[in-house]
Amino acid sequence: MRLFLRLVLFATMLVTGCREVPVMMDDDNPILGDLESIPYDPQPYTLEIPDFFPDMIIPTDNPLTVEGVELGRFLFYDPILSADSTQACASCHLIEGAFTDNLALSTGIQGLEGKRSAMSLLNVGFYYSGLFWDGRSPTLEEQALHPVTDPLEMDNTWEALEEKLRNHDLYPEMFRKAFGIKDRSDISRDYATKALASFERTLISGGKAKYDKKFLSLEPGILYTASEFRGKDMFFDESEEGLPDAQCFHCHGGVLFTTNEYRNNGLQEAATLNDFDDPGYGMVTGKVIDNGKFRAPTLRNIALSAPYMHDGRLATLEEVIDFYNEGVHYAANLDENLVIQPLGFDEQMKQDLIAFLHTLTDTSFVSNPAFQNPFEE
Amino acid sequence: MKKLLLIFPLGLLLLSGCVKEEETGALEMTFKANYDGTPLVMLDEYAYDGGLMMTFQRFNFYIGNVALVDGSTKENLLDIEFVDFDNMASTEEATAGYSILVDEIPTGDYAKIQIGLGVPADLNATADSDYSGSHPLARASHYWPGWESFIFTMINAKVDSNGDGLYDDSSVLYHTGSDEAYRLVEYTFPIRIEKDKVSDLVFEVDLKALFQDGAGGYIDILANTNTHNIDDLSIANQVMDNFTQSLKIVN
Repeated sequence: MRLFLRLVLFATMLVTGCREVPVMMDDDNPILGDLESIPYDPQPYTLEIPDFFPDMIIPTDNPLTVEGVELGRFLFYDPILSADSTQACASCHLIEGAFTDNLALSTGIQGLEGKRSAMSLLNVGFYYSGLFWDGRSPTLEEQALHPVTDPLEMDNTWEALEEKLRNHDLYPEMFRKAFGIKDRSDISRDYATKALASFERTLISGGKAKYDKKFLSLEPGILYTASEFRGKDMFFDESEEGLPDAQCFHCHGGVLFTTNEYRNNGLQEAATLNDFDDPGYGMVTGKVIDNGKFRAPTLRNIALSAPYMHDGRLATLEEVIDFYNEGVHYAANLDENLVIQPLGFDEQMKQDLIAFLHTLTDTSFVSNPAFQNPFEE
Repeated sequence: MKKLLLIFPLGLLLLSGCVKEEETGALEMTFKANYDGTPLVMLDEYAYDGGLMMTFQRFNFYIGNVALVDGSTKENLLDIEFVDFDNMASTEEATAGYSILVDEIPTGDYAKIQIGLGVPADLNATADSDYSGSHPLARASHYWPGWESFIFTMINAKVDSNGDGLYDDSSVLYHTGSDEAYRLVEYTFPIRIEKDKVSDLVFEVDLKALFQDGAGGYIDILANTNTHNIDDLSIANQVMDNFTQSLKIVN
């Protein structure tokens, strides 16, 4: 009998040692310390930031670790975040679209259409002046709270998601390794959003685009075409040949190709500042002078992230250039660098600008294995 | 020997107790912008020379090398800071102004304060990408690679040039920069810094005065809509000279 019991015990140990066994949590009777046997030894994650980029500020309460980034990558690609387990962050932020979905308006749970276009997450770790098109979230950690509960996105509750994560056969160990939690009941939205933010901070693109190689990384042998050069001169208002100023860099300047500011770029004519269909930044600041303003997005990998504008109304880069060239729409707070009068660019000038914008494409970013879906590896 | 060992730490304790901690206080500098004597509110209409009407969308500037001076003593307060009126959307906000608090200033009476208008040369040799987050110089909107300079002062306005009530036909973009445009101003003004107290200092600048042409009139803003040409800093220099005259301490 003793031998039989030993065999049963041994067999049980073998079986449980081979796979994770889901443990159903009971909130009233949590299994305290059920993860303590798993080693907690987080390793610092070193970001690959180009020399010509600014430093990235990492919150002191969420240091980057290999384990935290990996957990964030799994969560990012896992539809478990949505109420019916159909919608992941990656459903609207696809790597091949530079972490956009290439749709005018994003599609959320049950095919519901969102109100705005999904923003690219490229270099999002360098954004310190608010996230979303309207800047309503101050940090990546805070931002990650919203899509989970948005009825047009994931329509979940954090309580339900926390419960799913606690009972998952994969995540308790990953949370333990990332954050040192002692038992499943410690899994929380706080840790989940920290992990998501950590992964998003790794989504860096710089130094690999033709523009970078030519002008910033100074890689020898990279040649710009005459068209690309002319487009660059118009973009930065550096033309010595009398080419017109396209005024682009006022909003899309700096090495990140965004000033991270909120501007009204003339998408809608507004007789008064209360007439905008979508007040955007004004809803956040509460100031009418900010109505109709939206975040100036990065132009890095812009050729991959069509369609354009906060509502995706412009399908191609050609349409974008035409929009500005034909004269934008008037409102009292229209960006002062823009005018409603036609700019007068001819076809060659428009093509030059587009040629330059294509030199901001970094294909290595969208094929980076570290950013891929871990469930497909 | 044991007594010696006891006396030695006791002596150290007494000595350290006698070292006087430096007494410090704070200074709150508030900057207020007016236009022709009226608080500057973004998008409000203001009359320019010749009856032209203007609305402003941005007015901001850097200050650097801010220091309190008393005789040969100089107490550095700030290397660089950004003064921003872009968000002044009401008379109340404009009247309250933009405040900067500097603490841990040694107590005492200071006779002067110096302020650099713009970015000092050592910092102007850097670029926005050398800074991160909320650092005043991290603003990509305020670095002009073509000039290899920060934009010291940004004045963005629109002009109703045809009098139709719409500000849709002409912009004024006066951006100053380059080491040549930096100005250091010194004000003789008694400032007392008291222990654990905040002293106040209020500056006012009149934006209309920044458009003076140096010959008793005002710059023709329809003919000179911007200051983007690094090879012609005449207007930028005029604006900065005007700035030194217009910025005043009012309390």
